[in-house]
Amino acid sequence: MVKAESALATQKKYFDPKWLIMGVIIGFLVIFQVFPLLYLVVKSFFPQGSFSLSAFKRVYTYKMNWDALKTTLITASATMVFGIIIAFPLAWLVGRTNLIGKKFFRTLFVTTYMVPPYVGAMAWMRLLNPTVGTINVILMKIFHLESSPFNIYSIGGLIWVLTGFYFPYAFITISRAMEKMDPSLEEASRISGASPLKTLAKITLPLMLPSIVAAALLVFVTAGSCYGIPSIVGVPGQIHTVTTRIIDFVYIGTQEGLTDATTLAVFLMLIANIVLYVSTFPLAKKQFITVSGKSTRPNIVDLGRWRIPITLVVVIFAVIVVVIPFLTVATTSLTVNLGKPFSLENITMRYWERIFTRKAILSSAKNSVVSATLAATFGMVVTSMMAYLLVRTKAKGRKIPDFLITVGSGTPSVVIALALIMTMSGKFVINIYNTLSIMVIAYMIKYMLMGMRTVVSALSQISPSLEEAAQISGAGWFRRMKDVTFKLIAPSFVAGWFLIFMPCFYELTMSTLLYSTNTKTLGYELFTYQTYHSQQTASALATAILIMVIFVNWLLSRLTKGKFSV
Amino acid sequence: MANITIQNVHKAFGEVVVLEDFSAEFRDGEFVTLLGPSGCGKTTMLRMIAGFEKPTRGTIKIGDRVVTSPDTFVPPERRDIGMVFQSYAVWPHMTVYENVAYPLRIKRIDRDTIQQKVEAVLEIVHLAQYAKRIPSQLSGGQQQRVALARALVAEPQLLLLDEPLSNLDAKLRDSMRFEIKEIQKALGITVVFVTHDQIEAMTMSDRVVVIYKGIIQQVGKPSEIYRFPANQFVADFVGKINFLHAMIDGTKLLINGTDQSLAYRGPLSGSVVVGIRPENIRFDSKSNDLTGTLLSQFYLGDVNDCRIDIGGQVIRVIAEPSTFETHKEGDVVKLRVEEFTTFMDDSFDDHQKIIT
Ligand SMILES: Nc1ncnc2c1ncn2[C@@H]1O[C@H](COP(=O)(O)OP(=O)(O)OP(=O)(O)O)[C@@H](O)[C@H]1O
Ligand SMILES: [Mg+2]
Repeated sequence: MVKAESALATQKKYFDPKWLIMGVIIGFLVIFQVFPLLYLVVKSFFPQGSFSLSAFKRVYTYKMNWDALKTTLITASATMVFGIIIAFPLAWLVGRTNLIGKKFFRTLFVTTYMVPPYVGAMAWMRLLNPTVGTINVILMKIFHLESSPFNIYSIGGLIWVLTGFYFPYAFITISRAMEKMDPSLEEASRISGASPLKTLAKITLPLMLPSIVAAALLVFVTAGSCYGIPSIVGVPGQIHTVTTRIIDFVYIGTQEGLTDATTLAVFLMLIANIVLYVSTFPLAKKQFITVSGKSTRPNIVDLGRWRIPITLVVVIFAVIVVVIPFLTVATTSLTVNLGKPFSLENITMRYWERIFTRKAILSSAKNSVVSATLAATFGMVVTSMMAYLLVRTKAKGRKIPDFLITVGSGTPSVVIALALIMTMSGKFVINIYNTLSIMVIAYMIKYMLMGMRTVVSALSQISPSLEEAAQISGAGWFRRMKDVTFKLIAPSFVAGWFLIFMPCFYELTMSTLLYSTNTKTLGYELFTYQTYHSQQTASALATAILIMVIFVNWLLSRLTKGKFSV
Repeated sequence: MANITIQNVHKAFGEVVVLEDFSAEFRDGEFVTLLGPSGCGKTTMLRMIAGFEKPTRGTIKIGDRVVTSPDTFVPPERRDIGMVFQSYAVWPHMTVYENVAYPLRIKRIDRDTIQQKVEAVLEIVHLAQYAKRIPSQLSGGQQQRVALARALVAEPQLLLLDEPLSNLDAKLRDSMRFEIKEIQKALGITVVFVTHDQIEAMTMSDRVVVIYKGIIQQVGKPSEIYRFPANQFVADFVGKINFLHAMIDGTKLLINGTDQSLAYRGPLSGSVVVGIRPENIRFDSKSNDLTGTLLSQFYLGDVNDCRIDIGGQVIRVIAEPSTFETHKEGDVVKLRVEEFTTFMDDSFDDHQKIIT
């Protein structure tokens, strides 16, 4: 009896289901991400099947392309500089001083991170339009000016809107690092006789430098690969960026157009990924110095008699970058005639009615909900498994999926969409062009990183012995996941799900390239209304999206008991 | 049957060799302790028995069943083992009851039986009134007992314990030591216990396996390990000991650097190291074994801890407490050596000795 059992044990190979699932997921990443992006790169160097830089040469001999490139670099760099100049003091004030209402400000600036980029563009276009912009008109009246002082359709305008939208990226990165910094380092400086300001300059700032650099590069890359903002405030003034050029080329639709788009896209992708990759160096190396395991409360700097003036400055800033734009969009959605001032006779609910009744809008909204739900759900399945692979196994190459997901998210949206169009429209067996699937896949590639980060950090906080204890109790892999590991990471899983869902729900850039008559999305709908038909309808949609962002944020912090908000 | 056979197990993490050619046999119903300094590979060995690590080569059998060999690997969940983790690993999202019931649920045992068994085992670990609590409402010692209850509830034939007492205070540790031993005796199960605390090893084990640098140094009953250590490392790691370099001259051990000697009968010759435990040296005015000058003495209540210069070498003597009154520093004392061991002088580095 015992003999038989031992003989059986020798022969039986115990099958482990997790490797099968992981194999399938890695296959998915290879087919739908690695292959298209690689194809794009190869195609740009081998336009006619043999190596040639002619495509690059041709693209960059067009003055228009050079200008687009220059504009991109200028606007991204300026946004980066201004973004940091705003974000660092703000993060310090909110995190380390007795600023009045700092909790509120923190939530406010962090929430703007979740707002679709085009909302700011729509608002500022209304306010700073050279002929009818509200602020321009008011200023002209007050100061009896001949011509309007501001023109949003300029490089300056582009930088203004980009900064207002992207500084929260830097704010979040720097705030997190500041929270993690060991406060005793600052206390040591204070005890040595340095003033708070001197401590800020000599201790806090240098220690924060790695995260500031990382934040700066993040802003640079995201601003440089943004499409929503330049397409609304740049294009009317003939100001093109690389992203708007790429989309123009794709719309031209010719083979040459596609090749040119590819060449520009590869340039953008390489720059973006290299910059992001470089930015992880200083961070990874220096983290050990600044972060300590102790969760001591940071010491709070007393702003003294400056407390109220500084708070006022922050309030004014918040009014300018958050309140005014959002109010503008909200009031626009209620205005009958945009040429007239906002007054009682000029108010209507018809645009709101329209967005809830018009079939086209409703069906686009449905598409957005469906594709965002699918992307978030599949995205979380993929990232959970890959996070598990990374944190819990010793498999060779377990870091590769994490790397791929990082690269995917670092790749500009236009590039992802373009790569999928070129490879997934039947040229290589698979044809999912004009379907929701291609949209879902694009969303996943771009936004899975959010899910990955949350699950990885949750998993690494759970001791592996909790899972091993279930295993020694006799639980197989599925059972262990269900009873122990998944239960423990559930709040992070929910948070990750929403972090993927939200940006997919109002996504614009990739949808613009991937939509078909039956698969229009909310972002695309909003964009067409804004550019061609009715700014009021677009504003109503944008306001609805804003309300939803706030609601989801609230829901998320309820569901995860305050542990997460966006 | 839960005897464990470990044959030529070798384990390396990449380049780093952690265990070398480990072979041992643990008998059914035996309480075996793996003892060794930090980093010697105890946890690694235990995790290989459990199946959380795979050896680089070698075979492990539980009963007659090969669980690990070059072409077989039984995953941990199919090995029918109870284990208490060093970190307890009590699931924070389940109550005490749910934690303990889990292994039975996996076995699809009916509700009533589960309840009966869980209640019985919670009784054994004195946690019956805590069944509804969640782990964060328990003290460290209580959590540790939850882990123990969970390991025992399915009545495994083999129980693995990885330093389960290391985080407890001295008192709780004493009582848990006793309870684990009682449970083991009552259920007649095989226990493999990992510790670096020699007192724990001595008091609980049927046999002790002393490991150093991934190699088994000695296997034996606690008294054997203590009285007849196989080498200087074991002698030093288990208990306190004085090492003296000496030369063998016929039936005499001439202690280097002094003019004193001890009587010797045995197989060794030439240069040796003599190990004498401090408590095996007695003050005895009628003895001729050793003579020395009392350098210092510390009264500890139950013993008198002395340092004595025997003419060029200082040794430690743990004497009767009454000697503190009868002697004073500077006295010349006569000593009787009740027991000592000799080792070949293998140039064992003095700096590696654990100073006690
Ligand atoms: N996953 C791993 N990768 C590389 N080296 C490891 C790994 N796990 C253990 N080691 C090394 O193996 C050696 C033995 O480790 P092990 O955990 O078995 O020690 P131990 O005897 O249990 O020590 P302690 O008493 O401190 O718990 C150590 O030197 C350790 O650094
Ligand atoms: Mg250990």
